[in-house]
Amino acid sequence: MLPVATDQIMQAQATMTHALELKAISKSFDGKEALRKASFNVRWGEVHALLGENGAGKSTIMNVATGIYSPDEGSVHINEQPVAVRSPGDAIRHGIGMVHQHYRLVKRFSVAENIVLACGDIQNLTSTSAAASAVAEKAAEVGFDVSAHAIVGQLSIAEQQRVEILKVLLLGASIIILDEPTAVLTDQESRAILAFCRRMAEAGHAVVLITHKLREVLEFSDRVTVMRHGETVLDGADTSGLDVDILSRHMIGEPSLAMDELNASLGDPCLTVSNLVVPSPNGTIGVEGISVSVREGEILGIAGVGGNGQQQLADALMGLTACENGSIRLGENDITNDNVTRRRQAGLRAVPADRFASGLIADMTIAENLAMTRLADGEFGGYFTLSRRTMRKEAEDAISDHDIRGAAPTRQTRLLSGGNAQKLLLARELSGSTRLLVAHSPTRGLDIKACNTVHSLIRKFVESGAACLLISEDLEEILTLSTRVAVISRGKVVGEFPKQEATPEKIGALMMGHA
Amino acid sequence: MSSAFFLNWFATIPDYAAPLLLAALGLIICERSGVINLGAEGLMAVGAMSAVIVSFNTSSPALAMAVGTISATALAVIFGIAVVYFKTNQVLSGLAIVALGAGITGVAGRAVAHQPVPGFERLNMGFLSEIPWIGKIVFSQNIMIYVCIVIVIVTWWAIETTRYGLKLRAVGEDPATADTAGVDVLFYRFIAVLCSGAFCGLAGAYLSIASSQVWVEGMIAGRGWIAIALVIFARWRPLRALAGAILFAGADSLIPRLQAIGADIPVYLMLALPYVLTLAVLIIPAVLFKRADVSPSALGLDYLRQDRH
Amino acid sequence: MLDMSTGITLVRRQSISGRLRALSFVGGLGTGFFITFLVLVSSGVEPASILNEFVVQVFFDLHGLAQATTTAIPLILAGLGAAAAMKLRFWNIGIEGQVWAGAIAATGVAFYDIGPESIRLYVMLLAAILAGAAWIAIPVFFKLRYGVNEIIMTLLMAYVIFQLVQHLLFGPWQDPSASFPVSPHFDDAERLSRIGWGAVHNGLWVALGFGALMWVLLERSKFGYCATAVGHNPLAAKGTGLPVITTIVISVLLSGGLAGLAGGVITSGAEYRLTQFLAHGYTFSGIVIAFLARFRPALVVVVAFLVGGVYVAGDTLKVFYGLSEAIVILIEGIILLSLLVWEFFSRYHIEFVKQRVPA
Repeated sequence: MLPVATDQIMQAQATMTHALELKAISKSFDGKEALRKASFNVRWGEVHALLGENGAGKSTIMNVATGIYSPDEGSVHINEQPVAVRSPGDAIRHGIGMVHQHYRLVKRFSVAENIVLACGDIQNLTSTSAAASAVAEKAAEVGFDVSAHAIVGQLSIAEQQRVEILKVLLLGASIIILDEPTAVLTDQESRAILAFCRRMAEAGHAVVLITHKLREVLEFSDRVTVMRHGETVLDGADTSGLDVDILSRHMIGEPSLAMDELNASLGDPCLTVSNLVVPSPNGTIGVEGISVSVREGEILGIAGVGGNGQQQLADALMGLTACENGSIRLGENDITNDNVTRRRQAGLRAVPADRFASGLIADMTIAENLAMTRLADGEFGGYFTLSRRTMRKEAEDAISDHDIRGAAPTRQTRLLSGGNAQKLLLARELSGSTRLLVAHSPTRGLDIKACNTVHSLIRKFVESGAACLLISEDLEEILTLSTRVAVISRGKVVGEFPKQEATPEKIGALMMGHA
Repeated sequence: MSSAFFLNWFATIPDYAAPLLLAALGLIICERSGVINLGAEGLMAVGAMSAVIVSFNTSSPALAMAVGTISATALAVIFGIAVVYFKTNQVLSGLAIVALGAGITGVAGRAVAHQPVPGFERLNMGFLSEIPWIGKIVFSQNIMIYVCIVIVIVTWWAIETTRYGLKLRAVGEDPATADTAGVDVLFYRFIAVLCSGAFCGLAGAYLSIASSQVWVEGMIAGRGWIAIALVIFARWRPLRALAGAILFAGADSLIPRLQAIGADIPVYLMLALPYVLTLAVLIIPAVLFKRADVSPSALGLDYLRQDRH
Repeated sequence: MLDMSTGITLVRRQSISGRLRALSFVGGLGTGFFITFLVLVSSGVEPASILNEFVVQVFFDLHGLAQATTTAIPLILAGLGAAAAMKLRFWNIGIEGQVWAGAIAATGVAFYDIGPESIRLYVMLLAAILAGAAWIAIPVFFKLRYGVNEIIMTLLMAYVIFQLVQHLLFGPWQDPSASFPVSPHFDDAERLSRIGWGAVHNGLWVALGFGALMWVLLERSKFGYCATAVGHNPLAAKGTGLPVITTIVISVLLSGGLAGLAGGVITSGAEYRLTQFLAHGYTFSGIVIAFLARFRPALVVVVAFLVGGVYVAGDTLKVFYGLSEAIVILIEGIILLSLLVWEFFSRYHIEFVKQRVPA
């Protein structure tokens, strides 16, 4: 049984009125235009997909609807009446609930405490015991299995998402927005949550599904709105009669292109990891005995749900955290106990998951960032002195070689767009005598064009005889780029396939731990 | 050493513990909301000095405590506006508050420095105070000690069990989530800062009015910093702060006892003991145990809704 | 019915122009000076004489200028020390403690006549540097190895060493001929000689020399580049193979060493003995100087000189108006807080949002 929508909604649904409508919304951040007269509407009883690339403005426009951003121009309408949504509280009062991509749950609180925090004032759930019984009741109603006393931080991603959905339902939301709900889920978990969205719509709710995955749109939505560069380019078209090509043309302005086969011959083993054990800080999953090897001319993709030891694996390979056990060999050399500098000198390079957290320094100039890895080798001056002129000169070359837009040697790196910052990072990491690249989510947050650039840079690099270990939570990326796929779950490699045998279903099952 | 020595020692512990405890409680409230308040030393100084001015002029210790609390809160308003609404660096702003506190008390407190003022008497609770040991240690303290115990319990109850406490903790753990839940993040932080001001002011007033009944420049003598260390030692929990304050006060109050019995120890090296002990309780657990970090997750970070979270 | 309503929205600026930075700096200083002015007037200083005491008598009077310069010598060193640590985001709140350590070491060398007299002075200053560095080595070790909070460690250690000073001055090192707790005067060979302008002594060249050295080190060398990188983002610095730990250790030891040298210069150049109050106020002054100078050594020298002027003016106010010497730290606090608050206007873009809403 699903929660039945109120009479008011049923009436509104009968007349096919718009549950939520955003008209001609414009919004800019510090002079950067994020939305340009964008519009969107969703009716009662439908699943409406909001499609677009990263940075197209999908999340921004929905954050306007939920009161997180205030628009510079435009208006918000609910049930065809203009309303002011100035804060998240206003949105809740209007029945708008959002399941954010980064769940809005306090990790150290229990499920019940989170419900008290979110729903206390509105639903009069002022004690954790009242919240616990409300959670149990609602969970039973929608068929979720959630323990109200569990600490949120100790739940799996999929379980946390269920808590987030319960929270939104308990708030009494009838317009439910899900922001990239399947981004970090396995194939099976994704299908379950999308089927749930359909059931919610059938029960009368208005459901907005923000996504960049075309297949989800075609299979699970009634209508679709496509955004590109902050504008609405397809406004509420019926999904029937659309196909992947039409959608992707709207989304990126060109049809999707298939990648050629990787043109590289296998060489000697480049990276050999055996029985690697890496402890993890405060209770999260570390690396618990991983053995993998990558040969020259090979891209080994490590698929898995985030938080299953990927970060520790990447850190251990780069020498950022110490290993407890096992060994790492680069070619013939044992580098297990080498520091970062020595590993880099041996030809190991990395693209970290969060480029501005551990790859680039946002507040330093582009020239400084480019020179950073080579200072220790006695370049750019002597042991003590620093030649800024050489740094600037080399930066100019790198910028033109890699077509880094909006860059100048003395410009601050934080001013680069995501795609250009990633190009800068790759320009630095792939220069010199690189033998192995550890790329962790190298296209996270990038638009398709930048994504393709990064992918072709990595392919070119491997075709030249080097090797790449690709760690990614994006299964599509793993399947397009890798020549071999390994699946990581709970800190262990639970399966390995050559590219031909790797299917989303097989990998998804392993990711969830059903081997 | 005689049993009288221990009796006298234990009986003075509450008096040493109270100011540390009060300041630490205020700082716990503040840090649980995500704001580091390094200004405790300055807030306590202002509380101590203004209380003495009032007690000197009105001979009313109760009024003095109230004014001490209020004036430190007023200084905390400046700190709160700066760090919460103007999003200034919390460490530097806290140091600036220490400087303001030292400066204000130095300039304004000259007239009352070294003047004895009326304070609180030890209570006599009849037969309760006659009980051997317990009577002197538990039932013969000044009234503020009992007020203090009530404050600890109320603070614990408010933070750990009420809905407002839950919101306060949410603001310090994950302000974006609290904001989405309709909690006014900045307002909660501002109120938490004011609480720390009031508590530190009360702690300072306790030192000058209840403890020493005199104001001397520099009399806080690092107790504000020890209270900050106590917060870390207590792992941000009010009841642990009570235990920690008693431990710190035990060492602190030992010094005059040893002097009283004429023990032959270098005085000034003994006076360094409270600071050495504080360093030890910070360092030793960190070296011996590998414990999970329990500090509020958003401690020291400012919050701006428009940032992309 | 529609009604216009205005809300304020803050947007973090992606980059801050130099002009905006300068404007907020000037605004902060201006506000700070104005509040200082009000405080002084309300404490009984005549409005007309404030300009005279703070500017004319200090910076346009040869005698006042000499005093300001003398006061600035240890302030330069303390400011450089504060900048060296703060640039790396290591909060050295125990500068006073390291100044004490340096003062004790220099006095110790003089007291026990260590080393030949011809190089005694150099031994004293070297000992001061080493003592300051040693005193901060303890917190930096526990911070890096065990993650203990350095703010509280450095600060509490200043209280500890102050008690050690008391112990020495009331005990083994007390000058038997003095009724105050002070050590015996140094011999001539243990004093920095005067350069013949007021009380200005050779410590000036020491301070300026270290200013130049720090300028080369922090702004012109590979070390400075590493320090900048580590200060901005230690994780990225480590990931790219920069020597993070070494950089932090060297910078912080330098910070302590410079503060220690300040203690050495105060004892051998100005006091000629160990006294009870000589390190008073250096922590906060050092931090304010470093912050105002944006951690840049050349600017530290300039700002320290200006703050020296405030000290001198504070002394005058103490003598002529009966104000407490705490007025100096009050002024520093007001100006720091004012500057911090004014940064808000450069860091954020304030937007007034108009939204049509139903009444």
